[in-house]
Amino acid sequence: MFALKYLPILINNEDVSSLKLTPSILDLDWQDTSTKIKRFISNYVKQSGAKGVVLGLSGGIDSCTVAALSALAIGGEKVLGLMLPEEETYNKTDIKHAKLVAQKFSLKTNNIDITSTLKAFYASIPNFDPSDNLCKGNVKARTRMIYLYYYANKFNMIVCGSSDKSETMMGYFTKWGDVAADISPIMDLYKTQVRKLALHIGIPKVVIAKPSSPALWPGQLAEKELGIEYELLDLILYGLEHFMDTEDIGKQLGIEEKLVKSIKSKWLSAEHKRRMLLTMKLEYRTIGTDFRLPRNP
Amino acid sequence: MRKEIKIALAQINSKPGDKTENIKKIKENVVKAKKHGADLVIFPELSLTGYVVRDQIYELAETIPGPATRTIEAIAKKSNTYIIFGMPEISEKTQATLHNAAVLIGPEGLVGKYRKMYLPTHSVFEEKRYFRPGYQTAVFDTKLGKIGLTICYDIFFPEVFRLARLNGAQLIVCISASPAIRRAFFEILTLARAIENTAFLAYVNLVGIEDGLQFWGGSRLVGPNGKVLVQTRYDEEDFVTCDINYGDIKPMETFVPTLKDLRSELLEKLKNSAENL
Repeated sequence: MFALKYLPILINNEDVSSLKLTPSILDLDWQDTSTKIKRFISNYVKQSGAKGVVLGLSGGIDSCTVAALSALAIGGEKVLGLMLPEEETYNKTDIKHAKLVAQKFSLKTNNIDITSTLKAFYASIPNFDPSDNLCKGNVKARTRMIYLYYYANKFNMIVCGSSDKSETMMGYFTKWGDVAADISPIMDLYKTQVRKLALHIGIPKVVIAKPSSPALWPGQLAEKELGIEYELLDLILYGLEHFMDTEDIGKQLGIEEKLVKSIKSKWLSAEHKRRMLLTMKLEYRTIGTDFRLPRNP
Repeated sequence: MRKEIKIALAQINSKPGDKTENIKKIKENVVKAKKHGADLVIFPELSLTGYVVRDQIYELAETIPGPATRTIEAIAKKSNTYIIFGMPEISEKTQATLHNAAVLIGPEGLVGKYRKMYLPTHSVFEEKRYFRPGYQTAVFDTKLGKIGLTICYDIFFPEVFRLARLNGAQLIVCISASPAIRRAFFEILTLARAIENTAFLAYVNLVGIEDGLQFWGGSRLVGPNGKVLVQTRYDEEDFVTCDINYGDIKPMETFVPTLKDLRSELLEKLKNSAENL
C-alpha cells in the first residue's frame, strides 16, 4: 500500500522524507482492502481445515468489523460471535449493536454471562484486590479468551482476533487476553482506518461513531485512557512506522515533540506484549530466535 | 532460430514445502500450455517449493541437475516445450550453500540456470539469510531465441537486465514472488526494463498467501516498446498465452537506440561510485 502513496511523491521528484502527515495519508482502497482481508480469512480457515471462526463480539467497532468480514469471507453460518458480558460493565447498547451486526451479516451468536466465572476467580485468588481495576480487568479479558478457545477447541474453529494497529502499537491490550487469537485480520490497520473500512462494508454508523472502550471496568474509554484522540494518535504512529523522527512529526502535526516522544516510548516499551516467549539461547536452534519455520496452519 | 513464438505465463499458487504437489501443478499447466500451442511456459520464483519455507529450505533444495529438474525434463520432452521455473538450488560442492535459481529446460534437456544476484533482505524478506548470491548473468541461445533469466528483486537493478541484453537476450524473463505492497513498483519497473533495453520482458509472479504475505500475481508480457501485451489477474491463479515476434525489436531499437548510445565509460564511473557509497 505504501508504494501507491509514495509513487506520486517520487514522480514529483520530491524526497520521501516529505511524507505529509495529513488524514488522507491513511486512506486505502477499501474495496481492495476488504477483499484482501476476506481472502486472508478464508484462506487460513481452508488451510487449517477448521470448520469456521469464533470471535468475541463485544458490539464495538473492531469486533463488529472482523465479525462482518469473517461472515462475508466464509459465510455467516461458519462464524460464531460470542457475546461475553459481565455485570460490572454490562452495556445494553453494546449487546444491541452486537446483535444488530450479527443479524445484518447472518452470523451465529451465543450470549454467555461470565459474571459467575469471574466471581469464582476473584474469590479463589488469596490476594485479590477488588479496587485494582487493571489486574481485575485483565482477568476479564483472559477469561473471555478461555471461552473463545473452549469453543474453538470443541467445534474445530479458529479464534479470530480483532485488535487494531493503534491499540497494538500502544500496548493497549491485555497480554494473553483480548489479543490472543489464531489470526488477527485487522492488526495492520489503524483505528481510524478500521472506521473507514467498517463504513465501507456496511457496519451501522451507530457502532462506528460511539467511543471505543475495552470494557474492563465501568466508564473506561480508550481515548480518555490513552490521553489522545485516535485521529492524532494514528498520524503520530504512522510517522513512527515510516521512520520519521519525533521532531518532524511534532512540527508537522503542530504538537509538542514531548507528546510524540511519549507515544514512541509507549510503543517501544510494549514490544514484550507483542512477542512470543522470550527465552535464552542455550542450544543449536532456539524457539523464538533462530528456529525459523513457516507457519503452516 | 524462430522469429515468432508463443509464450504461456503460468501464474500458480505453490503449496509451501510440497514439491510433489507443485510439480503436479507445473505438469498440468504445461499440458494446458501445449494445448494452446505454447512453445515456452514460465512459472514463478521458487514455484517448486513455495516462497515462505524458511528453515525447511535446507531440506527442499536440490542440485541442478537433480531429481526435480529431471522430472521437469521429462515433462518438457514429452510436451516438446520449454519450461522456466524457480527452485532452491544446493551447490554440488557443499552441503548447505544455497542459491535462489531460475531454471530453463527444453525438449533437449536442461538448457541452463540463473542464480539470483540481488537477494532482498529487508522488510519481510530474508533471502540473504539462506542464499548465496549469483555472480553471472544468464542468457541462453535456444530454438526460441536468446532468452535471459532474472529473478524478482533483480528488476530494481537495471544493470542485471542491461547485461542480459548486452549478452544478446531478446526475451528477458523475470520470475518473481512479490507481495502485494510492492505491486506499483513492479508495474513501472517491468515497463522500464523492457523499454530501456528494447527487449521483450516476461514477468511471472506467484499468487497465494504464505505466512500472511499475499503474492499479487499480475504477471505480464511487455513488448520492447513498453506495451503490456497480456496480463494475468491479480491475486488469483491464472494462465495466459501470447505470441511475440522478435521482428518487433528492430523498429523500437532504431526509434529508441539505447544500445547504440550506451556509454561504456560511465559504467566504470558507476563501479567506482558504487564502491564508495
